[in-house]
Amino acid sequence: MAVLTIKNLAKTFNVGTPRASRVLDDISFDVRGGTFVSIVGPSGCGKSTLLNIISGVEEHTSGDISLTSDSGGPARMGYVFQDPRLLPWRSVMKNMMYVQNDRSEATVGRCRKYLEMVGLTKNADFFPGQLSGGMQQRVGIARAFAVEPDLLLMDEPFSHLDAITARGLRAQLQDIWAQSKKTVVFVTHDVVEAVELSDRIIVLQPGGRIFEDITIDLPRPRRQTDPTVATLQAEVLGRLETMKAMARTPEAVA
Amino acid sequence: MTDQLVRTAPPTDPEAGAKRTAKRRRLRLTGLVILGWVAMFALWEYGSWWFGSRLLPRPLEVFQAGVEIVESGNFVTDFSASVLKTFAGFAVAAAVGAPIGYLMGRYNYWRAFFHDGVTIAGTIPAIVYAVMSLIAFGLSNLGPILAVALVSAPYIALNVAEGIRGVDKSLVTMSEAFGRTPQQIRREVLVPTIVPFVFAAIRMCFAVAWKVEALTEVFGGRNGVGFQIRTEYQLYDIAAVLAWMFLFIVFMLIIERLVLAKSEARLLAWRPQERSSAL
Ligand SMILES: Nc1ncnc2c1ncn2[C@@H]1O[C@H](COP(=O)(O)OP(=O)(O)O)[C@@H](O)[C@H]1O
Ligand SMILES: [Mg+2]
Repeated sequence: MAVLTIKNLAKTFNVGTPRASRVLDDISFDVRGGTFVSIVGPSGCGKSTLLNIISGVEEHTSGDISLTSDSGGPARMGYVFQDPRLLPWRSVMKNMMYVQNDRSEATVGRCRKYLEMVGLTKNADFFPGQLSGGMQQRVGIARAFAVEPDLLLMDEPFSHLDAITARGLRAQLQDIWAQSKKTVVFVTHDVVEAVELSDRIIVLQPGGRIFEDITIDLPRPRRQTDPTVATLQAEVLGRLETMKAMARTPEAVA
Repeated sequence: MTDQLVRTAPPTDPEAGAKRTAKRRRLRLTGLVILGWVAMFALWEYGSWWFGSRLLPRPLEVFQAGVEIVESGNFVTDFSASVLKTFAGFAVAAAVGAPIGYLMGRYNYWRAFFHDGVTIAGTIPAIVYAVMSLIAFGLSNLGPILAVALVSAPYIALNVAEGIRGVDKSLVTMSEAFGRTPQQIRREVLVPTIVPFVFAAIRMCFAVAWKVEALTEVFGGRNGVGFQIRTEYQLYDIAAVLAWMFLFIVFMLIIERLVLAKSEARLLAWRPQERSSAL
């Protein structure tokens, strides 16, 4: 069943002013429950805007979005940002609890469980300022999973980290996702990362249209060293290069 | 001419050397502080000899007067009266200043409305507020409270406004994305952001406020340190006047340095630079 359905979505910033700019144009896709979908595209093509619209932080200009939840109640969403976005004045555990709807034993236990999955059990009482950037980002990931979201949104969560830390966190994310089977919409400009993590990649082109919708049918867990992974990464990268070339010379397409 | 290729470490443990230097510096500083005090008391003694001890009592007389004050019961009652009035004034200032600061920080319209008034109010000399409070309340405990409130409110408003404008928008977005209510966002994001600013305001005000409080009491108090100073002054007991003054200064410095600084360090323990001084 589709958790997220988007139909003919468009977004124009500063509507009705001279500065009006269309960022997303006629976007339609749906995301089935339990799948990991990546949105890939060059910087500035509207990926973050799309996530913000899905999460409700940003209004859209036209089109429909619908979200369904397992519980039948309002859909719960988790969000992992590019930066950790932790409350600096609250401990790690309190940051996790801040986004929870109740203070029950079960909820506390769930927070502990995800904190353990990202390997930060010992740091539960630390303030964010006492953790490294990578550790803070792990708290952000644990926080988002711990709300047991119907839909988990991630916006380039590893792009601010050094390559080695990012690789470690990607592996960790694969593990957690394999265990929790959450529905994820993951935004990145990094095709290699998208192929490693996703069941499906939606490629956005500059101007905010969908260029391509690619299914990634590779066994998990995926290893960076696996040649089939590398081959597919190279192939998708090639298709993206074609798109960029077309964007540069629009007359060549016609 | 020889090139020296091998450089040997200095013969002593460099850390021990550094420690010794630090210790020597500390000793010299302590020596200078003591010398400063001795010079001050010497000057004072000389002054009392020059002016006569009726006009400027000798340090020992003031010290004895101080001991008498501490031994009598008045000490506790009058000190707590003055401190209570100072904090009551703060409470009033916070109740008025914080909402104004919130509006100024949050909305440009309110900022335009309040900005000049609050800035001017913050520039008016404290003595003017003391006089205004005396005129308003005459001989009453309300005068000192009002004076403290008037002196402090503009600072609190300006600092709260500054704090609100410093709120990290990305934390607000995060909260919204996780479905937090405006109330939760206010309590968990807004308030913690402005706490350091409010503390800065309180510390800044406190230094001025207790002096204004005492001054207002001198002219229109019914109790408190300022009232005692007036009473002793009317009895021409300058030693007692000075003793009350010194005791009050010491007491307020203790509050400022210990109580305010400690609670600030505690509340702001999450800040890396505060963490070492907390606990
Ligand atoms: N609040 C806003 N007002 C006006 N333009 C915006 C706003 N937010 C984003 N944009 C513009 O929308 C485009 C897409 O931004 P964004 O979604 O952040 O891209 P991406 O995440 O793909 O890098 C950019 O050109 C950006 O300048
Ligand atoms: Mg972005």
